[in-house]
Parts: sequence; C-alpha cells; structure tokens
Amino acid sequence: MLPLDKLSEKLQSTLTAAGIDTDRIDMILKTDQDINGQLGETYLVFSSADGILYRVFETETEKFPLSEMTEPHIDNYATCNRLQVYRHAPDDLPPEQGDMSDEDYRTCLRTYNCSGTTIVLGYCTNACKLKLLAFVNLWERLRKGDIITDDDPIFEQFNRTCPTCGRMYRDPKRRVCEHCTKKKGTMRRLMSYFKVFKLQLVTVILCLLATTAISLITPIVSGQILFDQVISEPSFNEAGQQITGSMHELHYVYIWVSVLIGLALLSLGIGIIQNRANAYLSTRVTRNMKNDIFTAMQKLSLSYFNANPTGRLMNRVNYDAERVRSFFIDGVPYFISHVLSYIILTVILFCINWKLTLILYAPIIPVVLIFKFALPKLWKCYSHQWRHSSAMNAMMNDSLSGIRVVKAFAKEDAETNRFFTYSSRMYKANLRTNLVSLTIFPVISVMIAAICHAMWGFAGFYVMNDWMTYGQLATYMGYTGLIFGPLNFFTNFTNMVTDTMNSAERMFEVLDTTPEVVEAENPVKLDTIEGDIVFSHVNFHYAPNRPILKDVSFTIHKGDHVGLVGHTGSGKSTIANLITRMYDVVSGTITIDGVNIKALDMNTLRRNVAIVSQEVYIFRGTITDNIRYGRPEATMEEVIAAAKAANAHDFIMRLPEGYETNVGIGSRSLSGGERQRVSIARALLMDPSLLILDEATAAMDTETERLISEAIERVSEGKTTISIAHRLSTLKNCNYLMAIDNGELAEIGTAEELMERKGIYYKLWTLQNEQLRKVMEGE
Amino acid sequence: MATATQEKKQNIKEEDDLFAHRISIDLTPENARFTPSGGNLISLEVTQPSGDVEFFERIVPVRAFPVSSPNEFISIREPDTQLKGRGSEIGMIRRLSDFPDTVSALISDELSRRYFTPAIKKIHSFSEKFGYCYWDVTTEAGRVEFIMNNPTANIRTLEDGRVFMYDIDGNCFTIEDPKALDKHSYRKVEVYL
Repeated sequence: MLPLDKLSEKLQSTLTAAGIDTDRIDMILKTDQDINGQLGETYLVFSSADGILYRVFETETEKFPLSEMTEPHIDNYATCNRLQVYRHAPDDLPPEQGDMSDEDYRTCLRTYNCSGTTIVLGYCTNACKLKLLAFVNLWERLRKGDIITDDDPIFEQFNRTCPTCGRMYRDPKRRVCEHCTKKKGTMRRLMSYFKVFKLQLVTVILCLLATTAISLITPIVSGQILFDQVISEPSFNEAGQQITGSMHELHYVYIWVSVLIGLALLSLGIGIIQNRANAYLSTRVTRNMKNDIFTAMQKLSLSYFNANPTGRLMNRVNYDAERVRSFFIDGVPYFISHVLSYIILTVILFCINWKLTLILYAPIIPVVLIFKFALPKLWKCYSHQWRHSSAMNAMMNDSLSGIRVVKAFAKEDAETNRFFTYSSRMYKANLRTNLVSLTIFPVISVMIAAICHAMWGFAGFYVMNDWMTYGQLATYMGYTGLIFGPLNFFTNFTNMVTDTMNSAERMFEVLDTTPEVVEAENPVKLDTIEGDIVFSHVNFHYAPNRPILKDVSFTIHKGDHVGLVGHTGSGKSTIANLITRMYDVVSGTITIDGVNIKALDMNTLRRNVAIVSQEVYIFRGTITDNIRYGRPEATMEEVIAAAKAANAHDFIMRLPEGYETNVGIGSRSLSGGERQRVSIARALLMDPSLLILDEATAAMDTETERLISEAIERVSEGKTTISIAHRLSTLKNCNYLMAIDNGELAEIGTAEELMERKGIYYKLWTLQNEQLRKVMEGE
Repeated sequence: MATATQEKKQNIKEEDDLFAHRISIDLTPENARFTPSGGNLISLEVTQPSGDVEFFERIVPVRAFPVSSPNEFISIREPDTQLKGRGSEIGMIRRLSDFPDTVSALISDELSRRYFTPAIKKIHSFSEKFGYCYWDVTTEAGRVEFIMNNPTANIRTLEDGRVFMYDIDGNCFTIEDPKALDKHSYRKVEVYL
C-alpha cells in the first residue's frame, strides 16, 4: 500500500466487515470533511485490483467502480476542495480509436471523459489539499497502469521531516522545525552573531558586573564607614567592643569622602568603557545581521517575493534585526547583572538585619503583583497603539502613492476625512495608553515610596532602641532603594524574550527558506549560447490546482524570430519566465543548446538571455547607470549605440543632462514609452544571444514601435528572438508564430498557415482587422 | 439518457464557437430552472432571451460580495473543464430570495459548502508560542484545532464587528459576534480585535 494515509484499526475493521480485502488496497486518503461538507472524517480507499474506489464514512461503505469514472479533478474554491469525477453509465463505454487519427481520437476521448454526470467523491479543507492533489495524481497514474513504489518522488512532500527531531515540518515550504528552533536553537544561532565579538561581549559583561559591585559597595562606605566609624562619636557595647567612632578624626572624613567620589568616578569610567564596547558591538552585529538577511533575500526565488509584500520584507531587514540587537545589548547583560545583584542584595539585607528584611519583603509581594498584572494591560495598550499607528501609516502610504487618482477624482476631502478617522482612532489609543501608564506608574512609585518610608520608620525604631547603628540604617536604606530596579526589569524581561524570539524566527525564516530555483552543483558553463531552445512536455503551475502550462512542447532554432500570441493569462509570459529560469518547470524539461537549463550555470543563462518585460523598472540613478545595469563595464560608445538601437537616444539628448540625467523615484520621471525604451536599451547592451520581448513595445505609438522593431531586427541578426505581443502588427517580422491557448500550445506555423487553420490566430487577426476597418470607414 | 446526449453535444467545441461570446443574462425564476443534478450538484435549464433553451449538467454559483451580501448578486457560471477551458458566466441572480424556497435552499447549501467558513461558537484553548497561535475551537461544523501564523495579520475585524481568521493552511473561520461569545472565549481573542 502506498504511504499516503495509514490504515487505522477502526478502518481496517470497517473494511473487513464490508468484506474488503485490505491487502488489495493501493492507497487510502483520509479527508477532514464528511460527505455533507461538515467537519468530520471520510476515507477514500482505492483498490485497482478490485477496480473499485470505496468511500467509508463512519461505518458505511460505498462502492464506485473505477471503470465508470473518468477525469478525477479537484474543484477548489477558497477553503473548500472537492474531488469530482465524471461518472458514466455502465453501458457507456469509452470510444475506440478504430481508423481515427491520433489527434481526432484524443478530442473524441476528451469529449467522452467530460461527459456523463459530475459526482462529488469527497470534500476536504485546505489542510488536506496536498494529499488530495497527490491522490488524484496517483489515481491517474494507476489507471494508466504505472507501477508506483513507496519511494516515488510524489511522497517527498509529505516526508519533509526535521533532521534533528524527526517530526514533520508544519509548513512544508518552510523547512523550519518549530520544536527544534525553540528557545535554545534560536538563542544559539543568535549568539553566533556575537561570538565574533567575544572580546567586546566579555568587556560589556565585566563592566556591568563591576558597576554592579560598585553600586553594592557604595552604601557600605557611606553608611557603615563614613557615618558609623568617622562621623559618629565613639561608643561601645556592653562587652566593651567599640561599635562606632573608630575613625572619629577629621582627616578620615576627607579620605572616605574621596573614596566615595573615587567610586563614583570609577563607575563613570567603567560606564564609558562599557558603552563604547556596546556601541562597537551593537552597530557591527546589526550590520552583519542586516547584510545576511538581504543577501539571503536576493537569492530567493521570485515566488517568495510574490508571496511577501515589499513592506513586510523591509521590516524584516530593519525592525527585526534592530529588535534582536536591542535584546542582546540592552537585555541579556542587564539580566545577568540584575540577577546577580538581586541575589547579593537579598543576602546582604538579611545579613544586616533579617527581621527588618522580612518586614521589607512582605509589602514587596503586592508590588510584584502589580508589576505582573497591571503591566500586561499596558502592553495590550501599546500593541493597540502600534496597530493603529501602522494602520494609519498604511493609509497614508496608500493615499499619497495614489495622489494622482485622488486629485483626478477630486477626492481630497474624502481622503482627509479618512485620515481623520484613522488619526482619531490613533488618538483614542494614545489617550488610553497614557491614562493607563499615568495611573500605573505613579501608583507603583507611591507604593515603593511608602514602603521606603515605612522602612525608615521601622529602622528608626531599631536605631532608637540601639539594636542598630545609624550607619547600618543608612546602608540598609541604600540597599532597599536598589531592590526595585531588578524587580521591574524581570517582569519586562519575559515579554522581551518573546518579542525577540518572534523577530529572530522571522529573520531566520528568511535565512532558512530554500530558494525554489537552485543552481546545480556542478553547473555547465558555456561561453556563449547559440539559442536553440527545446521545450518538451513542460507543465507548470504557480498554485497546484491551477495549471498554467499543460504539456507544452516546441523547438526554437538558432536565429529564429518567434512570435507568441494568445489571450491574456494564457501563459505566454510564463514561457518567458521559464526560459530565464525565474521559476522551475513542474515537470518536463527545457533545454538550451541541448543542456537542461536546470544544469546550466545561472550566470551563463542570465548573461546570454535578455528579457524586456511588460513591467519596466527604472532604478534610481542616471540613465547611463540604468542602461549599464547588466554590464557595468560597458563603454560610453556602447551605451549610446544601445540607446540608438532602442530609439531612446533622441529623447535622452533632449534632457538637460543628457545621459547623466537622474531618473527613478524622486527624480525626473520618464513617460511609459521612454521607460520602455530605456529598458530595451538595457537589454540590447547585454548583446544577448537570446532576446525575449514580452509586450516590450506595448506602451509606444505605432511609429516608434516600427522604428524599434526595425532596430531590433538589425541587431538581432542571427540571434534568437521571442516576441510576445497582443498587437499582431508587432509580430510581422517573425519567422513563425505560436498561439497559446489556456496553457496549451494550440497552433504553430507561419502567419499564413495559421490563417488557414481558422483558429485562435485567425480569430485575433480578424478581430483586429475588423477594428482597423471600422476606424478606416469611420464607423 | 436524453440529457446525456444533449449535454455531450454541448461539450463539443464547434467552429462557430470561435467568435461566439456568451452573454450573461439576469436569471429569474421565470427563465431559469435549477434542479438537483444526478451527482448531488446543481443543473440549470435556462431560456435565453432569444427563446433558445440551454441545459447545463452542472453549474457553479459564485458570490460577488461574499462578505457583505452573501445572498445577493450570485453569478451562475459554467464549470472550468479540461475540454472547454475556463467557464464563463451564464447569468446572475440579483437576490436569492426571489426564487422559491427549494431552489434558494439548493443554491445556498451549495454556496455554504463552497465557501466553507465555519463560525466559531466556543474557544476551548488558545496559546501563542513564537509567533504561532494554537487554537482549539468548536464551530457550527464541529470541533477543530488549527494553527495560525502571525495573528495580527491573520485576524481581520470588519466594521460590523464580524471577525475572520485565517490559518496556516489557508482555511477561514469566522466569529459572527465576538461579544456574544462566552466570557472565557471572548477574553482569549480580545487582544486581537
């Protein structure tokens, strides 16, 4: 049995009760919805030996003969996936080929397959979608008589397990094991960024420990030494031992006061060293992290960028790295020093006077409780505030980017009002945050003050009874003030850890995502590409249930000029994306000069294949920079030649700074046609052996288009050119045309041949001609 | 098997189809007859303004405004098939309530199966760990556990108070009125609303 879903004991007994031999089963699919589309469990049991598909719901078993069902397919809509088939009557047998040609027979068979009654075999939510897709795929293959083994590549997607713990990845695309990457793993990885700066890190921690020690020594010096031994009159206890005033002379005052000042200066000096080390450490660590993320991002495939909006990605580089840095700089060292000082403080306090300390610790409990319960409320407020502020930013971004539309529709007032709504929400959130924080913090500080005052009272009582010296009291009170700092820090710390871990996870997600398009280990390097392209049985989809290309095969020879026509969304641009290997084919192969492009060196490929796409992007910089983007070493002559070929020279020369005019965001903006010409020049400068023009001249007037296509014709002499266009006039120089329809290569041949076929090309041609005729006749 | 042959004819792509575009019409109880199909789906017999009667073995209902008016403006479409490619719109229903109860029930049942968005009635447990939220809830369609990534982005509150939640598989859950939940359940989602 194939390893799709396991045969549970319950299912085994149900099947046995229904008289089904479980050894004859090929595979089992467990869906998470019942036959009425409610949450529940249904099993689809496939047995090619019995020729039957069993559907088991609770204890009922239904039988569906496989021979009567054709074309299992998935009807997917939002959250619901349905397995549907066409069911035929038992006497309605598939047609036989007889003396039909292959093509006719295929059409005939297809018609048969799609006839009959559509029935639903099962429902499932997106959670089982991948399994359902595999089930359908296996069904088709089993029907063809393929022998499928347990180690078939299709099962790989379900066996993506973490190498450390052996558990399955939650999200198969994201190879991150949530069990192993928890605290420890993530921490360890984060620490690796700091390991490089061991010296600085150690310095920071040592400095912190030193300042903590100084802050702990100071109360002893000022209290028990300065007050008791220097300032106080000598006094003795009953046993005759001197308690105070052992250094009751003026010069001792100078000495101990200078010691105190010295300690303060020392603490300042250490602080400066610590901050300098910190600054060195944190800026470098942030830089390294940001560099790593950006490098990883650049390597990722296009599909990753389609799935993640630019804003979110920028946030990862900026915000998340910053958050992680602040944790390690402002969090961890302080945590260590606070823990240590808290322990030492408690010990010292108990040593000085354990009874007083017990009294001190009793009211600390409510303070800690306030920290624990009131502060989360404040964090909630902060997160509200944050969300409203990001909503406001998004709104502003939207409105300002679309300002042309806003003005064109005279919607300035409406936009202003929209902004007011957001800003008043923001105001409410801010107000609430302030109110809460302005209540919590005074309450906390009053409580702390009250505790301190009460302690003065208790301790005063001790001093008056001579159970304690005045100096001990001063020392004691000094320590009492220090104890609240760490307490406050600890309540914040857990939050800090969670936030940092979230940021770190997001950061590592980028670093860990394996690019879908990966260069082969020993890529084939070619100096030049001739431009022979062969597609054989290429299938491609962006989302599993929406095929974009279906079994496409064709050959383009060196020097051909091929035109691709077809409806919008038929898959033309996808072919261009596959040739440049922006995406990898799902199945089938693409070869260039006989080398599979998966084995071809990425540099060879991209250096020799230039694409001018419908989306033109002009980087910030001069026009020269933009034209030279692909070949920064190109000479000025070459740049001008390329610009001339792209018919861009003329408009560039009319700009005040010629080729050195700054373009891109925030600078002089070029018109759509001008941008397209710059991008054509960019492609031509590469002197590619394979040129792909994906609607490259769509934004130009007919005359410019003619000039450019002539120029391209000149430069692309002997090179392979693929043109994709809606306007058929663009394609008049092509040797032959290919019409793509619904992901399939529907027609191939010269323009004349396609006209005779009376298919898609004929239709497009007729429609465009008709339009033109109407214009001419003034209809 | 009269319908089967009729339907087979339907599926054959003819030369004349090349320039023919289906024109979407308003579907009313007068010109559209919806019936349960043999496979527990929906069949449609429609009388075109020209008087021609067309039969569709299976149709697909799609909501134009799935969030704000789920029972109005329903597009009735031909299914996408291997043979004919993308299906086009046959017509549109302005208001589902214009149709007799049996028909509107037939269509709305199909719609609720297609737009499977169970409403959460009770939240048993909710925990957040490292950016992932683990939910255990009872919905109108049964009890379910799901995992959500980045709750701030995947919990959406509408102006009218309804809440939509999307899990890592892309499934969607809704809370019709969060305030109507019991206290314990409400407290668990409160932060994200």
